[in-house]
Amino acid sequence: MATREAGKKMIMLKSPDGMEFEVEEAVAMESQTIRKMIEDDCADTAILIPNINSKILSRVIEYCNKHVPTTGATGAAASDTVAPAALAEDLKIWDAEFIKVNRATRFNLIQAASYLNIKGLLDLTSQTTIDTISDNSLEEIRSFLSTKNDYLPEEEQTIRRENQWAFQ
Amino acid sequence: MHFRFVSRSSTSLRRRHPLHCSGEESLAQPATMAEAASAEEAAPLHPGLPDEIFIWEVLVRLPPKALLRCRAVCRVWRRATSARDFLLAHHACQPALPLLYVYNIESLDIIPFDRRAGAAADDQLRPVARLGQGPFRAIASCDGLLVFAMSDCRFSLCNPATRQYARLPVPPGFVPLGMYSRSPTGEYRLLLHRFPTGPAPDAQGGSYVLVLGSGQPPRSIGCPDARELAFSLSFLFRGGLHWHKEQNERIVVFDTTTELFRHMRVPVVSRCTNLFEMDGMLGVSSFNYAAATIDIWMAQDYTSEVWCNKYHIELPIAKLTTRFGRFNTHGFGVVASSDGHLLMLLKFSDWLLQVDMDGKLVASFHCKGLAYTRFWLKQTLVSHTFFPALERYVVNAKPFI
Repeated sequence: MATREAGKKMIMLKSPDGMEFEVEEAVAMESQTIRKMIEDDCADTAILIPNINSKILSRVIEYCNKHVPTTGATGAAASDTVAPAALAEDLKIWDAEFIKVNRATRFNLIQAASYLNIKGLLDLTSQTTIDTISDNSLEEIRSFLSTKNDYLPEEEQTIRRENQWAFQ
Repeated sequence: MHFRFVSRSSTSLRRRHPLHCSGEESLAQPATMAEAASAEEAAPLHPGLPDEIFIWEVLVRLPPKALLRCRAVCRVWRRATSARDFLLAHHACQPALPLLYVYNIESLDIIPFDRRAGAAADDQLRPVARLGQGPFRAIASCDGLLVFAMSDCRFSLCNPATRQYARLPVPPGFVPLGMYSRSPTGEYRLLLHRFPTGPAPDAQGGSYVLVLGSGQPPRSIGCPDARELAFSLSFLFRGGLHWHKEQNERIVVFDTTTELFRHMRVPVVSRCTNLFEMDGMLGVSSFNYAAATIDIWMAQDYTSEVWCNKYHIELPIAKLTTRFGRFNTHGFGVVASSDGHLLMLLKFSDWLLQVDMDGKLVASFHCKGLAYTRFWLKQTLVSHTFFPALERYVVNAKPFI
């Protein structure tokens, strides 16, 4: 049994591979999907997260733990005492470390962030793929994603012409 | 860590059904996942990610230019990224960025100023489009579309992301006060002011509404005293066009649903004010030139008109002048960046400076002719049926260069 801090409501999250995670309600509510369930009074007992294995779910919870706005006993935001800029810088460094994972894990995290609707985690996890697509040539994108070019050469030329400025 | 492990049996994946209440909950796919993900092609769009997640969580976040290029990758990508519901979602994901210009002798660069974390330094001042045949001046911005006033007293509409451009059917003697998308139909309308040309009933001044794509002339909605609004820029917030009345504790609001004017109170009396939005709240910045200070007020409760003075900033004008040259008093301003941090821009000679809420210099950009507007640009690739029907419609042709 995890140590419960006085007055903090806990929520049980279950992964399909048989793990249970007891999480502070505020941490779980970083997920808009879970937040909605709690607000709709649907989360009295455990919440089953059907398609996220325990390894990924524990990383998601780690992210939420770090990003939940910390509150003191009076409810005043801790950021009142810590400079917001320093706090943001600390989070940025933490995020950069957090996302140093292999491609398969990153894709699993994108899926988890999507299912659980955690915007910050989605932004963080999808950015690498977005950068790859934004910064590379069509040939490189196709090769990176093993996508076959199914255009006839003249069709591809037409599409390139339609959006000529995007290729400059 | 605030969680513990307990063993549990497994369960199968359940997706795409609405959330519901029961003893043990199963999480559904967010309802925003649309059905457009193609099941018709056997090959996945992206190895390792389900198509719908790749489309609706990754492709949807691409910058507009990269998304246009992606259409040439393969047919499935093109189909997925051309659907209207996808493009609407893509527009919703785009950041609203402060709109900057670079004026050259014969051209105007349109620059969405990207100061977000992660934006590469080179990209922060990268123009999205360049227009020739100046001078142009943006007088309204709505859903990625810009309304420009031309030197010949005509008005034009521009989508810099799709490089569409056309003349607006604004009759002579009328001036656009703002542009909006009217709920629930979403049709685009212009609020116009007509200056009186004589005592005859058909020469009376007042406010008019022009429905784009209707082919109808502007329709009078009365309110002749909106004349003064023609000399200040409107700010679109929560379905209302807002103007701060100079040296008056009032904001004029045009409700775009009812198409009626009303007033709201604001505790700011200054000539130099600027309206903006941050974290869903309406803000007003007020510049005191003599004291070199800026006060920032936020409407904590918009409906009840409850304002709070959020920041009082003392600007080190003298120090900055020594380093960067003459302070352009016309160039003060406060804008909100998309990630919820306020950024303030100041213009000194050929420098654009960004200072923080303590008045400290954060960044400086040296660029001749760089100026900022009081508008935001949230780029869009959504196509509008009314646009190609407008006079002098072009795509990626003159005046684009």
